[in-house]
Amino acid sequence: MQKKRAIKVSKQKDGFAISFYAMASACEVLIQTSDEQLAKQIGQCVSNEVWRIEDKYSRYDFQSTCSLINASNGQPVKIDEETYLLLNFAEQCYQLSEGLFDISSGVLRKLWTFDGENAECKYFPCQEEISEILNFVGWDKVIYDRYSVLLPKNMQLDFGGIGKEYAVDRSILLAKQFTDKPLLINLGGDLAVTGPRENNQAWQVAIEAPYSDKAGHTQDMIVAIKQGALATSGDARRFLIKAGTRYGHILNAKSGWPIVNAPRSITAAAPQCIQAGILATLALLQGENAEKFLIEQEITHWARR
Amino acid sequence: MTEITKQRNIKAALSIATTALLGTSVTTTTSVQAKEVDEWQFETAYLLYSEVDRVTAGEVIIAGTKTFENDEILNLKLTIDALTGASANGAVAQPKAQTFTRPSGNGQYITPAGDTPLDDTFKDTRLQLNGQWTQPLEDNITTSIGGHLSKEYDYLSLGINGNLAYDFNKKNSTISMGLSYFLDTFTPEGGIPKAFSSMLVGDSNSPEWNDEFAKTRVGDSENKSTTDILVGFTQVISRRMITAFNYSYSTVDGYLTDPFKVVSVLNSGGFAEDYIYENRPDSRVKQSTFMQAKYHFDESLLNIVADVSYRYMWDDWGINSHTIDSRFTIPVGQTSYFQPHIRYYQQSAADFFKPFVINNQSLGNFVSADYRIGEMTAITVGGKYGLLLNSRNELSFRLEYYHQMPTYAGFSLPAALDGLDIAPNVDAIIAQISYSF
Repeated sequence: MQKKRAIKVSKQKDGFAISFYAMASACEVLIQTSDEQLAKQIGQCVSNEVWRIEDKYSRYDFQSTCSLINASNGQPVKIDEETYLLLNFAEQCYQLSEGLFDISSGVLRKLWTFDGENAECKYFPCQEEISEILNFVGWDKVIYDRYSVLLPKNMQLDFGGIGKEYAVDRSILLAKQFTDKPLLINLGGDLAVTGPRENNQAWQVAIEAPYSDKAGHTQDMIVAIKQGALATSGDARRFLIKAGTRYGHILNAKSGWPIVNAPRSITAAAPQCIQAGILATLALLQGENAEKFLIEQEITHWARR
Repeated sequence: MTEITKQRNIKAALSIATTALLGTSVTTTTSVQAKEVDEWQFETAYLLYSEVDRVTAGEVIIAGTKTFENDEILNLKLTIDALTGASANGAVAQPKAQTFTRPSGNGQYITPAGDTPLDDTFKDTRLQLNGQWTQPLEDNITTSIGGHLSKEYDYLSLGINGNLAYDFNKKNSTISMGLSYFLDTFTPEGGIPKAFSSMLVGDSNSPEWNDEFAKTRVGDSENKSTTDILVGFTQVISRRMITAFNYSYSTVDGYLTDPFKVVSVLNSGGFAEDYIYENRPDSRVKQSTFMQAKYHFDESLLNIVADVSYRYMWDDWGINSHTIDSRFTIPVGQTSYFQPHIRYYQQSAADFFKPFVINNQSLGNFVSADYRIGEMTAITVGGKYGLLLNSRNELSFRLEYYHQMPTYAGFSLPAALDGLDIAPNVDAIIAQISYSF
């Protein structure tokens, strides 16, 4: 697969913006400095890191570690430390969510098509089909240790739910090794900052509304962030409607069914982006109790229904 | 719907998992500072105040707050209230029916024997606008300025205010100072009555009526100005306790008389012979001290937040009052709370307060029979139930009962008033529903 990879550096009022495309999203690094060379260097280093993670964990790239695991046909696959740590993290999330969040649940997407917007769903799976697919879902069936992973036949792993947020956190750590200038890394809406801007000013971030209002305007929300990360889960364009019920694109890994009555999107704030992302997803998995869950966990959040 | 076990602190567990994944230390993974800006936050409320047999007021409040980039806050508030019903006109109950002229001079009303005279023509709609701009000047100095406009059919009030707050002692202590100035114009229907003149009672359709009525009037409108100075001190005592102390000095100049209030002139037997328009001094200096403590109890006491305050007010009219107010916020589950409220109020009478005058007594310079500046005790009991719908939407219901007991101690009653309730209690219900989003 030929990939067009380049970064674009542009001068801004009090710094530079570096933009590039990765993980199916528009990505941006903002850095408050007058040193263009430094900005370029940071942009290069961040984008390389994001592309590296994309290449390693994309399930669409047949050479990726993820694809190698998925094509292992029940044989153990050697893994490096980074992959081990990610699997470990996925394990924690599985435990914390009591099985609702499961990186092996991706195969369910073969049954569910969320083409959203207008149409009544063309194909709606029946319980038998779902039950059959559920035989190939279940993190508890995956065996892994520090050096290898064994994925049972016909099962698939999907790092899509954590990959982008992980890349944000990794890039922040990396950039901090090069500079202590204030910077913000935004990978398609999941973002983090190294700290406040000069003079303890907050970064202003627009969070895109998941849908447009009646007049066709999308109501972006502006958030001021000085420390930590924001991640958004949910996508209003991806849902299906059957018999008047709206099914969101988040699937319950235990039942195989989409979650109903969840907010269209949730933005959560947390010290690290990956935490924010998991919290937003775990909240969506609570369906109509999403907001209640976030309040109980005392998480700064914005839910849009 | 599956629910993640409530007791478990997912946030904390996740933060440990993240630390392991990213190889960072726990201390660097614990802070997040994010808030929404450029977004209005609204508060709406509907309040109903209803006195038994007297005034009923309905009030709608819409308040909006917007926080800007550098922590500047704009606050706008619109209040509309509608008042209907009857209000005591100051005259004392009699063993026989009494006839009064309406404040406008157009028509009369009759109060049955034994009843406290109430003027039932009260009907007013008030529109109130408040705007406040708050902004940090430096890291530990906050300043705020505001404007106020209130318009009724017969009343206009304009005001401005400015405040300054200074934080010190690691922001555990705050000293604040506030200054406000109000200018009110009163244009009552029927004009301003002449102090001590007799209420004209008779046939308002007679040709001489208008001329005779005009003789009891001294003009169309009057003004008053109010200057308030407030000095406050707030001290955080511990993680669980905060205290506040305020002193305020308020001076009012101008027309402080109530043009709708009269005083009964009784003969020695106690029968009303005349009703004269009241007269109050044209200045008043009020001072008050206020202290408040808030305490957040721990789990052994259900995480209750107690808020107790005491105010002592005194003025140069001879009125002093004590107010004890307490609220207890009791969390119910994770997302709702119940808040019982008890308020006790006790006030002494103004020097010139007289429930009535006897015709051979000298009047002095000032007299008023308005029960609101007489001796009284009042109690409010009630509660509020609040429901947090999500991080920014709250729905709350408040229901309170107000009981006011005027006590005219020290006034000897002439024979005709024997057995009459000349200081009737006032009971009211306050109901409010609020929604913030």
